[in-house]
Amino acid sequence: MNKWLKQDLWRHIVALTTAIFALFPLYLVIISSFNSTGSLQITSFVPREISWNNYKLLFTSPAIPYLTWMKNSLVVAGSVALVSVVIGSASAFAFSRLSFKGRKPGIQLLLLVQMFPAILAISAVYVIMERVQTFAPGIGLGTQGGLVLVYLGGAMGVNIWLLKGFVDSIPKELDEAAKIDGASEVQTFWLIFIPLATPVLAVVTLLSFIGTFNEFILARLFLVDMESRTIAVGLQQFIGGQYSQNWGPFAAGSIIASIPIVIIFLSLQKYIVNGLTAGSVKG
Amino acid sequence: MISVVRGKLALIAKIVLLALISAIFLMLAQSAFAQKEYVIGIFLFAVILMTLFTYLTKKSIPLKFFLPGILLLLAFVVSPILYTVTMSGFNYKTGNIVSKDEAVLQIQNRAFEPDPAGTSFDIKIGTFESKPAILVSDIENKSYFLSTIDKRIPLSNAQLTINEYLVAQSAPGFSPLPTDQLAAADSQYSGKRFIFKDEYFLSLEGLDVAIVARQTLTYIEKQDVFKNIITGTIYRDNGRGNYQVAGDSAAILEPGWRAPIWFENYAKLFTDSRFRDPLIRVFIWTVIFASATVLTTFALGLLLALALNKPLHGRRIYRSILVLPYAMPSVMSILIWGGMFNSEFGAINALLGTDIAWFQNPNFARTAVILVNLWLGFPYFYLVASGALQAIPNELLEAAAIDGANPRQIFRKITMPLLLQILSPLLIASFAFNFNNFNLIYLLTGGGPRNSLDGEIAGATDILISYTYQIAFGSSTQDLGLASAISLIIFILVASISLYGIRKSKVLESFV
Repeated sequence: MNKWLKQDLWRHIVALTTAIFALFPLYLVIISSFNSTGSLQITSFVPREISWNNYKLLFTSPAIPYLTWMKNSLVVAGSVALVSVVIGSASAFAFSRLSFKGRKPGIQLLLLVQMFPAILAISAVYVIMERVQTFAPGIGLGTQGGLVLVYLGGAMGVNIWLLKGFVDSIPKELDEAAKIDGASEVQTFWLIFIPLATPVLAVVTLLSFIGTFNEFILARLFLVDMESRTIAVGLQQFIGGQYSQNWGPFAAGSIIASIPIVIIFLSLQKYIVNGLTAGSVKG
Repeated sequence: MISVVRGKLALIAKIVLLALISAIFLMLAQSAFAQKEYVIGIFLFAVILMTLFTYLTKKSIPLKFFLPGILLLLAFVVSPILYTVTMSGFNYKTGNIVSKDEAVLQIQNRAFEPDPAGTSFDIKIGTFESKPAILVSDIENKSYFLSTIDKRIPLSNAQLTINEYLVAQSAPGFSPLPTDQLAAADSQYSGKRFIFKDEYFLSLEGLDVAIVARQTLTYIEKQDVFKNIITGTIYRDNGRGNYQVAGDSAAILEPGWRAPIWFENYAKLFTDSRFRDPLIRVFIWTVIFASATVLTTFALGLLLALALNKPLHGRRIYRSILVLPYAMPSVMSILIWGGMFNSEFGAINALLGTDIAWFQNPNFARTAVILVNLWLGFPYFYLVASGALQAIPNELLEAAAIDGANPRQIFRKITMPLLLQILSPLLIASFAFNFNNFNLIYLLTGGGPRNSLDGEIAGATDILISYTYQIAFGSSTQDLGLASAISLIIFILVASISLYGIRKSKVLESFV
């Protein structure tokens, strides 16, 4: 008993206190979402009722086209994740496996470009897409297509870096063997490398999905129509400045939107930690 | 045999795909040229050429892998950066947004004054000989005429239908515009000058009234000056994007244009105290914010990692709970915290039994920002510190214990230095990330509190990046040139920090 106290008690105290700190906002938002008044004001920290009112509002109120927002987020984040990983892995493969002139400066340049914070170039992106709008309305400002293109550009730097790290960790012997057997570089990529890297690519796809799902400011600038917004922009605009009125439905909406992300994250925890130590930071 | 067929099929598929891509880009390039977007048009043509060259020849195999990625980077990352660099050398702000030609045109169009009597007429909008025309009713003198941009046609009253208010409704050869086309046709009429007499012309005020006015300013192209016809005043290009009376900086013509002013935006930031003082204040807070975040998140994360670094009852449950803040979409978490800090109804005040206006007081707002960021960030360091602790070889610790070191000594002399060595690149990366943590500031406090009544742009919790955003988009006067200059300064700062971090990570690679 004494030994337990000495060795383990402090560990439990630290872990428990922090766990309460971590859970507090989540607990609060959950009880708020089941509160029928939908009020921000906490009358009691112990839930008194379970009402599905706020959840019903999400799917019925015309003021919150919640399902449309969710669908938009899935479409935008999904297409960015898939396309950027396919394109990014090709580039990463070249950086990692092929030798050519300018490989090292290329990597360094990529790194430097990637450090330019996207938000800082936002006014330039805005002006460029405004111009694209004049001749190609489908992919200009205000469209999800245009937003996806801009995201793809922005995701390239990070994804190529992340993927290069993973590619480097795949043993070289296999693709060298393929080369000896007479496979071209392109064949090696499609027939040897891609099947080998599938689990890794899946992880990076999901990470990229989470990152895009979380992106807020470009989406805010691009998607002006209520109907075209992503969930992050939609909920922010919905709650913006009107915490007291809209808190209940917002709480319910943010819980539903978070659940898939939390599940993806927890199931990929191991890989994500590896990715993190490779020097990337989740946004 | 089969492989030959497959090879042929693949070749056909490749050619079809390439043809399709070229066709789409060709179409886009054409419409870009049609809209006079030459730079974009040329870029699109270059994309076609590059694609065909890369995938139809065997000149460069790496390029086959790179090309799509490079093109995306060029279009949406590199070109915005170059554009930002260019903008930072320009006087590009509210009042100086358009090009010089456009500005000259707008000044000319706006520069007229009504005649001394302030005469105005009722009109009907329509077309005459298929050109825009107005049917003018001078009710006082009961005289009527048609006017276009280049001629005036007198009409006799017998030719007209005139309503009870003595306004002419139709005339021979004149077709009035149907009501549903009025709005669409607005640009063909408003701002145009219809012939009246001598130097006076008619200018539309709304859709059924025209005023008599005359030009005040004339543009003398040879000397590139504006001259006031009536007073004789001369306005010259002041080299900073405006026409101005020599020696009188208040006497300028609106609008101005975006003119190259080279390094003036940068000079302003370092010498003009109206820009320098807020910038320094914001910079100091940015550094404090980023350092405080790294310190607090690292300290809590490390403490947890140490506490849970041995088999313990409920360790798995603790672990799942502790990573939750990191797993949540951060936009949602920040907005939730925003509600909790609400001064009237928020849970924080309810819990503490206080009545604090969190986001109205600078110091409370700063505390809140750091607290929320601790919540968001500690799981990251918990995860990486746990990993790093396991990477430290056990033999090392055991050897120290055998040599008689107590646990505290082992931690201070062995564990901690090793941990810092492993994690220092991550600490630097975290610093660089938080240096630009726009979402947190923007969504939680919006940079505030700020004294906007005094025209203050920088708020108490504004970090450099949110301050820049505020300058470019937030306030009533937008200054894209200045914002771009600050952007580049931030870029240089963050790039130096990160490059330093990468140097350090070489140490990491050799260690792990």
